[in-house]
Amino acid sequence: MNLKDLKLIYQENRKEIKNRDEIVKELRDILGEKCVSTNNIDILAYTRDSSLISLNWTIEGKIAGLPEIITWPKDEEAIIKVLEIANREKIPIVPFAEGSGVVGGAIPIQGGIILDLKNLDEIIEINEKNLTVTTQTGVNGMNLERYLNAKGYTCGHIPQSLYTSSVGGWIAHKAAGQFSTKYGKIEDIVLGMRIILPEGDKITFEPIARAATGPQLDKYFIGGEGTLGIVTKATLKIWPYPEKRNLISYAFPTMKDSLEAVRETLRENVYPAVVRIYDADETARHFEHVEKAKDKVMTVFVCEGNQKLVDLEDEITRKMCLKNSGIDCGEDPVEHWFETRFKVTETSMFPPYRIVADTIEVSVMWDNAVDLYHNVVETVKQVKGNLLITAHVSHFYPNGVGFYFTFGGVPGKGMTEFDFYKSCWNATIKAVIHSGGSIAHHHGIGINRSHFMEEEWNKGYDVMKKFKNVLDPNNILNPGKIYEKTWKNQGGNE
Amino acid sequence: MGIFDNIEKYSWMGPLIKNADRDVRRRLLKNLRKKKDRFYPEGEYKADIKNLINCMLCPNMCRFDCGTLQASDKETIGPAYKARIGYYLSVGKIDPNDPENKEFVDLIYKCSNEETCKIWCPFEFSVVSLLETVRDDLNDQGLMPEYCKKQIEKLNQTSTIEDHNIFKTYEDKGIENIETKGDDEVFYYVGCEMMKFPEVVKANIEILKKAGVKFSTNLDQKVCCGAPALNIRDFETVNQLANKNKELIEKTGAKLVVSDCPGCVNSLTNKYQKAGIDISIDVIHIVEYFEKLFEEGKIKIQNNIPGEYKTLTIHDPCLLARNLGNTTTIRNILGKIPGLEIRDPIYNKEYTHCCGWSGTVHWADTEISVKEAQNRIEELKETGAKNIVTACPTCELGLSYGIAEEEKDNVKIIDLSILISKAI
Repeated sequence: MNLKDLKLIYQENRKEIKNRDEIVKELRDILGEKCVSTNNIDILAYTRDSSLISLNWTIEGKIAGLPEIITWPKDEEAIIKVLEIANREKIPIVPFAEGSGVVGGAIPIQGGIILDLKNLDEIIEINEKNLTVTTQTGVNGMNLERYLNAKGYTCGHIPQSLYTSSVGGWIAHKAAGQFSTKYGKIEDIVLGMRIILPEGDKITFEPIARAATGPQLDKYFIGGEGTLGIVTKATLKIWPYPEKRNLISYAFPTMKDSLEAVRETLRENVYPAVVRIYDADETARHFEHVEKAKDKVMTVFVCEGNQKLVDLEDEITRKMCLKNSGIDCGEDPVEHWFETRFKVTETSMFPPYRIVADTIEVSVMWDNAVDLYHNVVETVKQVKGNLLITAHVSHFYPNGVGFYFTFGGVPGKGMTEFDFYKSCWNATIKAVIHSGGSIAHHHGIGINRSHFMEEEWNKGYDVMKKFKNVLDPNNILNPGKIYEKTWKNQGGNE
Repeated sequence: MGIFDNIEKYSWMGPLIKNADRDVRRRLLKNLRKKKDRFYPEGEYKADIKNLINCMLCPNMCRFDCGTLQASDKETIGPAYKARIGYYLSVGKIDPNDPENKEFVDLIYKCSNEETCKIWCPFEFSVVSLLETVRDDLNDQGLMPEYCKKQIEKLNQTSTIEDHNIFKTYEDKGIENIETKGDDEVFYYVGCEMMKFPEVVKANIEILKKAGVKFSTNLDQKVCCGAPALNIRDFETVNQLANKNKELIEKTGAKLVVSDCPGCVNSLTNKYQKAGIDISIDVIHIVEYFEKLFEEGKIKIQNNIPGEYKTLTIHDPCLLARNLGNTTTIRNILGKIPGLEIRDPIYNKEYTHCCGWSGTVHWADTEISVKEAQNRIEELKETGAKNIVTACPTCELGLSYGIAEEEKDNVKIIDLSILISKAI
């Protein structure tokens, strides 16, 4: 099989390694024979991430990116040596662990070397007094959570990708979990990190409670998406496994009513671990069996932790729901959510019908939340070929919310699947910017949003690029992401 | 529209399609009609294309619990990728006949059959059940890998998984052979792998005798249950062995077959049934039978267990815990023995992890199997117990490869029957 016979989506972005055989030999000498591969079977396994459009390509036999060398370093020293070679030869390096990213972050659009970090998966220590776990970052999220649960703890970071993502991926893409309203996003959870910088220097941020030691440099690397360094070790907050969980659900007449109920709950300093508001279309999709929620906006809450506090949170949450015209739907919808939250079947169902679908998460302050929702829905409906645009709200803060939009459709005449995909993405992000929102809440920038970074950050984007250049003067770490407008520059053609 | 109407979960799509723009609706309905033309192979095939597609397009929801992926730490060994390659081989995007593509064919065999994937699968299938259908097509095309052919040859030549008839070694190993007179109460069905652990076979015979059970072993006529051929999907060999087993079992007159190997129990029951072969006599694991003998008072705890065995951890065999659905017997029996401290590993009962030696991966990629065994040993050692109790000869074999040379004196793998024989 010649992989070059497969349709390569990011063909125009690819650069070949000139002296590949020599590089492979050198890598094998350093990492060991079995930790380096140029075999087709290994190369093909790293040609995509979990972007939903890549599933449409997969069934068609197309590939997103085409790396030339796969490496599986076993320790930090091996990573440093790979980076040394990459800097010397100006070869792109794409860090990869579980490949669960959905914005193209782990797609090797310029080819190069894949640095698979799965071997760095040791859970090093639980510190019960400090309430922390220290782990290597290649560990799978579910395996970390299962380990913590067995010891009586939880990390509280439970993204829908829990089964398929790594701690490193969470940090790289600034992830958020379903329980984030209580436990926070990953940037709230990470207390310490070890990072290998692009030129091979190793820096360690020891876990700290809080500090006033100048600007908070460590936080700058959270959300770096593998462009600023490789996070190899992290210390995360943990919590005793909750002793009580209360399940609450209410159906509201409108999105506005539901948002108000949640906002007023949070104003009371009450943070249910899970809060999820489903617009009427998503309520019909997920809670069709709940009669009281017909044509309404279903909202589910999970309050957990200390028994007395949970009961109090329950009481206040219910009071705010009733005040905003909520109808009590009982525990059943929440139990249904618990049962189905990892039953992801839609990703498999749509591509065989050439339906293109995806989700886009964004954030907005409370005062623009309702407008942003309506603006995005109305804008995406206008995209030629659109079949659906729906939303739920799943991350809440005292000052704003995180929306999660889902679009789907079939490309119109003369459009490829990728054209349609990009049109929906661009329409959504433009509407978000127009509505005063922020373009990404917890999936990151990757390829899909990099051409909007300038609008998001204004002059700050120049500073960001300068900072990247200082750390990575040869631009070897995950090029084509965040700082380059890959889509706008005609990158990616189907 | 009709396709979605048939799937309750997607009924919400109906109104969307009905209310869609005319052009969108037309395109979508065309896509619905064309799905098979576009994405299914032409001609005759056995591959489960529908579910290979479901699996390869899944976000890999079972990846964290896939023993071979966790052992190899390579994306290449991921469950969804195996399905993707299975699909590409089936539809011809990768030509299985091209010798250069052998590595892709080999991947279809790099599974340890542990079926943890099934626990987490949104579609509720196991990946091996899909890979088996791809193996069916590969076999039909004469593309069975050499390491599988070697197993089939052994099965045909010796009727066991060894290059000699391992059942015939009973005398050398000091195992008593009890031939049937056709009026047995129970047939003790010794597994090929258990013949590598003669002390366990001897312990089982001793326990059955102490309980006063009338039984036979028929080791001179005994053959493999066919599990390796079932995994490789060579049904000619399976049928040949199954018929011999059926004849042998029926000849004993036994009302019950008890085996020391959960793989044999699974073959003789679930797998034979799927292959259309009916063994009409009940087949259970021998420890399940011992549990019954305890309940009936036919065997009793009489002795203290030596101090070296006091602290134990349990390795639930995948085949017993998941395929046969029994997670209680080992614990119930150990619970009867006073003074034992049982420490369960994190992954236990139906969530147990594989020893690495099941399925076809140990032929296709021994290194992965050894690493899987090492991973499991680490999980078991994490309990602090040095004694690992299990009830499966394949696990006992596999786990032994996972113990480092310098630890062999400290970490012990013990079959439950050995403990019972010491205690009664």
